Amino acid sequence: MAHLSRVKRATYDAGWMRYGWPERVGGLGGSPLLRAYLGEALTGRDLVEPGLYSMTEVLAPTMIDYARPDLAAAMVPRLLRGDETWCQGFSEPGTGSNLAALTCRAVLTDDGWRVSGQKVWTSLAQYAQRCVLLTRTGPPESAHRGITAFFVDMDSPGISVRPIETMHGLEEFCEVFFDDVLVPDERRLGDPGQGWAVAMDLLPYERSTSLWHRGAFLQQRLQTAVSEADEGSFDPMALGEAVQLLASFRARSRATQHRLDRGERLGAETSIDKVLVATSEQVVFDLIAEAMAATLVAGDDAPAARWRSEYLYSRAATIYGGTAEIQRNIIARRLLDLGGDA
Amino acid sequence: MIEAAELQLLDAALRRATSSSSGGALDAALAEVGWGEALQVAAEPAIRLLFAAQGEAGATSDALALVLSAGLGQSPPTAAVVLPRPGSSSPPGRLHGDRGEVRGLVTASAAAGQTLLVAAQTDEDGDVLLTLPTAQLDLRNVSGLDPALGLVEVTGDVTALASSPLALWPSALRLGRLAVGHELVGAGRAMLELARRHALDREQFGRRIAGFQAVRHRLAETLVALESAQALLDVAEVDVGEGAAAMAKAAAGRAARTASRHSQQVLAGIGFTTEHRFHLLARRVLVLDELLGSTRTLTRELGEQVLATRRLPPPVPL
Repeated sequence: MAHLSRVKRATYDAGWMRYGWPERVGGLGGSPLLRAYLGEALTGRDLVEPGLYSMTEVLAPTMIDYARPDLAAAMVPRLLRGDETWCQGFSEPGTGSNLAALTCRAVLTDDGWRVSGQKVWTSLAQYAQRCVLLTRTGPPESAHRGITAFFVDMDSPGISVRPIETMHGLEEFCEVFFDDVLVPDERRLGDPGQGWAVAMDLLPYERSTSLWHRGAFLQQRLQTAVSEADEGSFDPMALGEAVQLLASFRARSRATQHRLDRGERLGAETSIDKVLVATSEQVVFDLIAEAMAATLVAGDDAPAARWRSEYLYSRAATIYGGTAEIQRNIIARRLLDLGGDA
Repeated sequence: MIEAAELQLLDAALRRATSSSSGGALDAALAEVGWGEALQVAAEPAIRLLFAAQGEAGATSDALALVLSAGLGQSPPTAAVVLPRPGSSSPPGRLHGDRGEVRGLVTASAAAGQTLLVAAQTDEDGDVLLTLPTAQLDLRNVSGLDPALGLVEVTGDVTALASSPLALWPSALRLGRLAVGHELVGAGRAMLELARRHALDREQFGRRIAGFQAVRHRLAETLVALESAQALLDVAEVDVGEGAAAMAKAAAGRAARTASRHSQQVLAGIGFTTEHRFHLLARRVLVLDELLGSTRTLTRELGEQVLATRRLPPPVPL
């Protein structure tokens, strides 16, 4: 995390990290393609881990679109510069993909909003200074209409964080508990009841620039494995197919970056990008795990530990950010017009 | 270059032509539309528009031969060109000194002509382009898996040949692969649409089968495969390296087979009959995948090349 902050700080000071972001939040303007370029340059050179780095791509646009202008102007530069880490409080123990059923409550009082409830799978919450949080402000049956989003300071009294150790050996995810946490009304993102729109607008960002970065990372890892593996380790057919799959994701994502650049509104079609990158990640690391089986199984040096951790993490690619099944449901309903699934 | 508005008109004209005619009638319609001229001015867009439409309609034409001949530098392009036989992407001719051997495919109209153009590899002088009297060659009407294609197998041993040097086989192959790739994806889209309509119309257990997640996910998976191949084809249109078109062709073949497998399962019984259109598209896809390099061979070649150089192909720039 400290390394990520150093890289973000250096790229911010050089101006690179500011390109592609609006001037009113500390950016230097320009096309969002510049953000894709920078992320590719950093992940492709193995300077940053794409999952951690790309959180900016998901949360900064939400702040720019929904926070009060003075709040966005004060906060977004801290994220870009690496001064702060932010997290995204969406999932709950009882609601993973079914966001409309969330129950973490926020009640308006004379002092501000009082938040009580629990979030889970909150990436990097133990390091985060802020959280983009979805809460239930309408009655329980209000579903997607009764949700409101907030920008919450993680050092607020009443918040406790419990990291969850995952099978790839890192504490990336957390449970976050809110016990009567006071959140000022100025920290509301969008109008009361507009939280669903905040979440829906955020999702295409989750499946555009940040996926481009992940594709560059996968390319770099496969290249490293091909360079290092022993003669005869790779099956040519399987390798050829993995290379084609990675290239097809990149071709698809490239078109998405250019649509974003033209100011087009991204929507359900980005679920195709997400399916492709998740499939690519698992195909690439399955292949590497076979080709470097001895390293993965019995290696105990740092590179072996890294391959093992990356392989294990790739198992989550079809789970986080909307499972492969959820993405296919979206494709079936929204892109193929197959109607509801009942 | 060609204007965007002209391309739109061409697209509409090609969609009309491919949906209302096939074979000789489609060749006549293409001549009337001026597709051959478009091919010479703007090869890639002309190829994309025609072959996507032809694939969706399940139509046949001489267009692939025209594409290869344009790629081989023939102006105006001619259909009298021998294509490599199924499974091969090498020139259909082979020369040893003044003795030669031809093994390939032509369309029915080309087989009826006086002469055929044959790209041939030589032992030491690179590729050459031969002009051969059709009468010197053995012709066999291919029925095979997809009789509607009306292909004719050309074989023969020939001597005393007139030839000219040829350096254009790789670029002809690139254009041909783009064409077949677009046709494969077009056929895949047609299969997906047949299955999609069926899923919405067919009721079982009191509900439309489109409501069953097993059905929905098969169709979603099909769309993902087709769009990923489409993205590679779009990139290969601007990336003129041989590798991009080969990759796109391989992905298109794989996507079309995926579309065939899932669509047939969703169509179930009716899709197994000749009363339904599906089988025509399924046959087409299997034959197209074998033309100008199959998914299997292109994929293995790519893997072998990566292993030999220890370098992944350069990724397409943003």
